[in-house]
Amino acid sequence: MNGHIINSFCSLAFLGAFVPATALIYTLSPQRVRPWVLLLASYACFWLISGKLLVLLIATTLVTYLTGLVLGRVRAEQREAVAGTRDRAERRAIKARYRNRSRMVVGFSALASVGILVSVKYLGFLGGIASSLGTLVGFEWHLVPPKIGVPIGISFYTLQALSYVFDVYRSTIEPERNPMRLALFMGFFPQLMEGPICRYGETADQLAAGEPIRTDNLVNGLVRIAWGVAKTIIVADRLNLYVKPVFADYTAWSGTVIALGAVLYTFQLYCDFSGTIDIVIGVGRIFGVRLPENFRQPFFSRTASEFWQRWHITLGAWLRDYVFYPVSLSSPVKRFARGARKVFGTRTGSVLSGGVALFCVWILNGLWHGSGWQYLFFGMYYFVTILASGLLEPLFSGMRRALKIDPSARPWIVFQVLRTWTIVFVGELIFRAEGVRAGIGMLGRIASGFSPAALIDGSVLAPGMDAADFAVVALFAVAMLFFGLWRELGCRTPRPALQHRIGISCAALAAICVVIIVFGAYGQGYVPLDPIYAQF
Amino acid sequence: MDTIIDILEELKPGIDFETEQGLVRRRVLDSLTIIALISELEDEFDITIPAVEIVADNFDSAESIHALIERLLDEDL
Repeated sequence: MNGHIINSFCSLAFLGAFVPATALIYTLSPQRVRPWVLLLASYACFWLISGKLLVLLIATTLVTYLTGLVLGRVRAEQREAVAGTRDRAERRAIKARYRNRSRMVVGFSALASVGILVSVKYLGFLGGIASSLGTLVGFEWHLVPPKIGVPIGISFYTLQALSYVFDVYRSTIEPERNPMRLALFMGFFPQLMEGPICRYGETADQLAAGEPIRTDNLVNGLVRIAWGVAKTIIVADRLNLYVKPVFADYTAWSGTVIALGAVLYTFQLYCDFSGTIDIVIGVGRIFGVRLPENFRQPFFSRTASEFWQRWHITLGAWLRDYVFYPVSLSSPVKRFARGARKVFGTRTGSVLSGGVALFCVWILNGLWHGSGWQYLFFGMYYFVTILASGLLEPLFSGMRRALKIDPSARPWIVFQVLRTWTIVFVGELIFRAEGVRAGIGMLGRIASGFSPAALIDGSVLAPGMDAADFAVVALFAVAMLFFGLWRELGCRTPRPALQHRIGISCAALAAICVVIIVFGAYGQGYVPLDPIYAQF
Repeated sequence: MDTIIDILEELKPGIDFETEQGLVRRRVLDSLTIIALISELEDEFDITIPAVEIVADNFDSAESIHALIERLLDEDL
């Protein structure tokens, strides 16, 4: 990311120049021109980050647009053909015929969009696998693909393109006839770097509305942006002092330092990713666009699968709707499910057959994050964890009953939350490690060399953060815990405060800015962290 | 309606399906149970429930499941 005019959304170039300039031009333009302003700003932003690779975004947009039109035509022809008969069997046959045609169109479109993604992001990885396989069978070859570069946000906008095509195929949305509207949905600039992954029905109309910038949207958007900047600059950048050296050479550190490194990396990733999403949602809000939330207090989750319903929500929902359910409902998996339920009983049979779809979800989740074996390992780690928890649930329920544990009792919930944290910390260690071997080595060192004494004798401070840095991170963690609890418990803003909402928001904005200036990790000794999820 | 309740009770015993209105929203049914439920419904009523129909509105209560089945049967005519 270094060397580009916009390195990060948490930068002066973006927040101090690009967004204000776009907002000014947007405000001065007539309403019908405003969507065009947003589109041009989006392409300009893309160009400032990824240069000529903008052509790849335009290519995917064009393929997606044309696919929608063709699917619309097939659907219209099907309607006409079905209207001509009342015979149920014949109507079914007509529908099946047109469904096959639509599937072919969707298949070609997906192949083109995913083909672009694979050719820029995964060819090196696939070339490495092909070379290794060649060596195994005694054929020496080295496939080195041309380096095209990876355009910003390709993994995010490709999923948006696919969701649009699938939704048109499923008739949940009408095909878009205006290419500008689809282009804006695909490339809206705040979403370019880290999502969230939106559905067409969710944002397209808002983007094309060209609503004026309202005072309440502006102030609330700025508060959200400031909160995101605070998470990034105060916590994520500061934690880099500890996380970077630990993961760069784990052999130099004790098991306790590595364990703390994994915990701090998880918190760093959360602050960096959710902080950027706060900025994205805040910028969208300024332009009157409500983008979907991507996090819902994930660290209050009681199971690993609940964690993934609260962390990177839009990716999880995408995989659920377009992979998990369709794979589960495909004919071969349904046949397997019936057999499995007969042999193993309803519960175990359902978990086993659901495991097929779960496997697809986690392979894709791992690969979506990057082209390395550690990402596949990360995906398989969650697949095994979630499948095992489903299979062992009857055993766990029996144990709970035998031990007379009330599942709704507070201590039990706290135990479940802490257990989920442990699963997540291990998962993030695998995710961040410099390869699978390093990940296993780090886990081995924690297992053999973890010493609680090191947590109090000061030796865990060795990798670069001093006591003051830890104190700032701890304070911020407490503040985030408080706000998280507030939302988790469903607390609402008191009615009198609602009457002065804008004044309170302005005060909050000023307070957050002061906190950022005082506690931000910038200046000598600190290096801003590249946005982690922008690399995926 | 009775058939639907019988299927639900077999898949997830101990729930009052006659009154429960938040099967999906309150996470009474997890995604694996929903898949098993769909499979049973398809066999029983000779219908195909596409993935696009798996939304909370269609599966939150026995009544909404009944309405979904009626609609799919009608669409097939």
